[in-house]
Amino acid sequence: MTTVAEPRPTARPSAFARTRGWLRNPWGKPRFLVVFTWAYILWSIVPVLIAVQFSFNATRSRTVWDSFSTRWYWGDPVDSVWHDPSLRHALVQSFKLAGADVLIAVPLGVLLALGLARWHGRGSGTSNFIMLFPLVTPEIVMGVSLLLVFTHIFTLVHTGTLAQILGHITFSISFVVVIVRGRLFSIGRQYEEAAADLGASPIVALTRVLLPLLMPAIVASAAVVFAISADDFVISAWLSSGGSTDTVPIQIYAATRAAPLPSTNAIATIMMVSTLLIVTLGFLVWRFFTSGERRAGKATEDIGGAFNLT
Amino acid sequence: MTLHPKERPDGTTRRDFLLRSAAGATLLSGAGGLLAACGNSTTVAQATGTSGEPVGPGGLPLARPDKRVVLPRWEDPIESGLKPETGGTFTVYNYPAYLYKKLLKEFGAKYGVDVQYTPFDNINSGLARLASGAVTPDVMEITPDTLDIGVAGKLVKPLNLDYIPNLKKNIWPQLIDPFYDGESRFTVPYTCYATGIAWRTDHVTEDIAGMPQPWDIFWQSQAYKGRVALLSENRETIGMALLRKGITDINTEDPALVNQAVSDLKELYGICNIKVDDIQYQSVPEGSSWLHQAWSGDMIAGYIYYLPKGTPASALAYWKAPHGKVPIQNDCFAICSTTKKPVLSHLFLNYLLDNGVAYSNFVDFNGYQPPLNEIDPSSLVTKGVVPENLADSVLTDEDLGPDSLQYGTLTSVGQQLWEDGYSNFQAGGGS
Amino acid sequence: MYRRWLWPGFAFPGVLWLVLLFVVPFYAVLGVALGTVDPILFQPVPIWNPLEWNVGWLTEVINRLAPGGIWFDVGIRTVVYVALSLALCLLIGYPVAYYTARHAGRWKGLILILIILPLWISYMMRMLAWVNLLQANGYVNRFLMFTHVLSQPRDWLGGSASTVVFALVYGYIPYLILPLFASLDRIDRSHLEAARDLGASPWSAFRNVTLPLSKTGILGGAVLITLPMFGDYYTPNIVSSSPRTSMIGNQIDLYFHGGPQPTIGAALTIVLAAFLTLLMLYYMRSIHRAQRAVGAVGAL
Repeated sequence: MTTVAEPRPTARPSAFARTRGWLRNPWGKPRFLVVFTWAYILWSIVPVLIAVQFSFNATRSRTVWDSFSTRWYWGDPVDSVWHDPSLRHALVQSFKLAGADVLIAVPLGVLLALGLARWHGRGSGTSNFIMLFPLVTPEIVMGVSLLLVFTHIFTLVHTGTLAQILGHITFSISFVVVIVRGRLFSIGRQYEEAAADLGASPIVALTRVLLPLLMPAIVASAAVVFAISADDFVISAWLSSGGSTDTVPIQIYAATRAAPLPSTNAIATIMMVSTLLIVTLGFLVWRFFTSGERRAGKATEDIGGAFNLT
Repeated sequence: MTLHPKERPDGTTRRDFLLRSAAGATLLSGAGGLLAACGNSTTVAQATGTSGEPVGPGGLPLARPDKRVVLPRWEDPIESGLKPETGGTFTVYNYPAYLYKKLLKEFGAKYGVDVQYTPFDNINSGLARLASGAVTPDVMEITPDTLDIGVAGKLVKPLNLDYIPNLKKNIWPQLIDPFYDGESRFTVPYTCYATGIAWRTDHVTEDIAGMPQPWDIFWQSQAYKGRVALLSENRETIGMALLRKGITDINTEDPALVNQAVSDLKELYGICNIKVDDIQYQSVPEGSSWLHQAWSGDMIAGYIYYLPKGTPASALAYWKAPHGKVPIQNDCFAICSTTKKPVLSHLFLNYLLDNGVAYSNFVDFNGYQPPLNEIDPSSLVTKGVVPENLADSVLTDEDLGPDSLQYGTLTSVGQQLWEDGYSNFQAGGGS
Repeated sequence: MYRRWLWPGFAFPGVLWLVLLFVVPFYAVLGVALGTVDPILFQPVPIWNPLEWNVGWLTEVINRLAPGGIWFDVGIRTVVYVALSLALCLLIGYPVAYYTARHAGRWKGLILILIILPLWISYMMRMLAWVNLLQANGYVNRFLMFTHVLSQPRDWLGGSASTVVFALVYGYIPYLILPLFASLDRIDRSHLEAARDLGASPWSAFRNVTLPLSKTGILGGAVLITLPMFGDYYTPNIVSSSPRTSMIGNQIDLYFHGGPQPTIGAALTIVLAAFLTLLMLYYMRSIHRAQRAVGAVGAL
């Protein structure tokens, strides 16, 4: 006669023992990589969070924390972002440039992406090459060339807001093309061909089939263009005509080299939050439009496709 | 799939490569031949005039403190007794934050105009934009060494001094008829300043003012590594190295002297890891810089605006060399040729020279001293505008004169020499 | 099925824009660099006809960059900074990208967002953040003194090369991680499993399968950060104002500030662009080679 022995209750191992077990698990994921990656993420983001924190500092110091205050945003009657005209104008100018950039660069870029992806005739290789170059050109080279072209060839546009807008659009187009093309690759020609088989004309196929499928990429590229335009320093600085055409990065640069007040942190925070809001909005719209297609890995396929530059 | 050793992965064979490089070589040598036929010059402008003397832009003579120059009028000034124009906008073209906005508003209210302020990065680029038509200001700030460009380029108008009585009434005698603009045909003075040394007494222990050659402190500043800086101006840096060696011709165009000065400056890399910037008015009071070449107005502005609570005024100090060894400069104002309101522009210049207005601009805003007769160091100290230990920052009429030093216009060859020397210094290389 | 001109027609506005505002400006730089200077205003006077070009400025610039010239040290220094920064970015970025692509599992989305996040934060703000931290009484010094690594505050911003390289790495690394991640993410798991089945150790599988397959990503990311880094002048200005840490971009900046020789600035820009074009051509050849190698593996 056999009896089944009661399983002996074992005590739960201590936290220390569990951690040690986790670290020593030969079947587990590489521990070093986990720690390293999270350390990188902290190193990457925490300094910015500290800068945001100091924008709420009650004293002028950006290194010694005193207490919470919104003085640098609207409180201080002379130096706060709300009251200092140079900071306010910089914010307005940054938004102006970014908005104009999105409105013009995205349509141009989408058209260019469609054209380059489907065009296989003569000249397509060169056009592709021309499109890729702004992505890797150092900004100072672009800044010098745009400054000289606006002061010697297209002299109707001397330095100033118009020149800055034109410059921003020029480097943004390539980003739109790269993003939209990535999406085009992952969509493939199947839907357009199906539409054609069903009797749709080219224009109908384009507007009612391809464009809606491209929406997520278009929205994503709009968010990207806004972000890079808001971030741009070199082109804006070289094409600026001083004073009211200075943008937020130009202000931050000048202040950082001199002796910044927390109001510099404040204006940087405002710009960062605005950009993040727009990017998040774009991301949510992108998710909404791709909800039907979302399976593991598909999301990153678009990103992967985007970097298929050649 | 393995590759055969003879099969090159990218499809080229050795023959292809040789053909291609041969083609490339032929192309390059052809290009070389073409290049040889091109012009090959780095001259900007004629450096000598008709009788062999050095000239500046447009062939104008080079003014020096002991060589007064009367600039030729390229048009007649406006007539006397006209009424000022009102309505519309009136644009002032200046460095950023160099004129008190409140004073601009008051002028605008008095004459019924909307006063705008357009900044430029520096006077040369400002004049270029003026010439290109990108801006159309009424008055602009200018310096004696860029005045020649304005006159030769017909960018500034001749003055009718009947509209500017304050010039003779309030301004130092030396500047009523300055050497760089005899008879004040084009400019009125705005601010004046000297170049000297600013330092923190709580960090720098040497008695700089008592040294036989105070500029040597930079070459003895090992203890302050990383906290020592020079002004980011090519004339000021190289000029300082010249003055340190006792060379008082700060407008020299002798390449040997300039190159030696640059070599001397390069010694500073190793001695104190020298920095170059123009934020001394903030960095010295805030303590991030301990020893800085500085203009005299910087320490006054630093004392008034940037001294943090808890730092005593006695922590700041300023030294400038005695008369004849110190570079003095004065900024000016001129009327632009693009102005549509010439009479009002004259009245604006007169307004700037008003005792109350100029004093307020100085004490309430930019810390740079106007050359008013009624300002003298002791009165400023008693009024508490300037602390006792910064009394050396205040200038007087005696500091000017034919034996004073001032950075003046150079020939274009000289300008290139100094600019290249500065580039050499900024490159941070050896030798 | 579509009219022959439909797609080129779509591309036309964009291409025209880029030609007018990207290609033509290069010609403007050429015209200025090979031109003369207005003797009164010191503004460049471009020469458009190639037969009349003045190469004086260009030869002057090339002489200065050659060994023995006054810019030889800056040029070498710039190359060293970029190479060091690239190496550090790869050393730090590759493990992060690898982990995110291969092992992140359920954390993948979150980590991806956190890695992409710095791209949306302004470069200037990220530099400002570090300038604040590296002040004499900033958190870095306070932390290092608290942990007794330092006995007194160190001057990080007083003109040191290590701070400049650090700032470059911090600033540019997000742009490297993303393409690296993309290429690592696309690697098919089955290749690795095949290698393991054939007896390879984890390290050997990584070295012989993953690393070569990620080559396009490494090259792409490297190009994406090194080419712009060669023209960087604002980073050394922000974290160090010392001539000893200046880069070649600072010299270009110097000559465009109203002096008599903007042509030198333009000529130096041309030389820099030519140098970078050479690098770009090398990149494209390497990509071509790497893709053919990958194609060979893929044919298996």
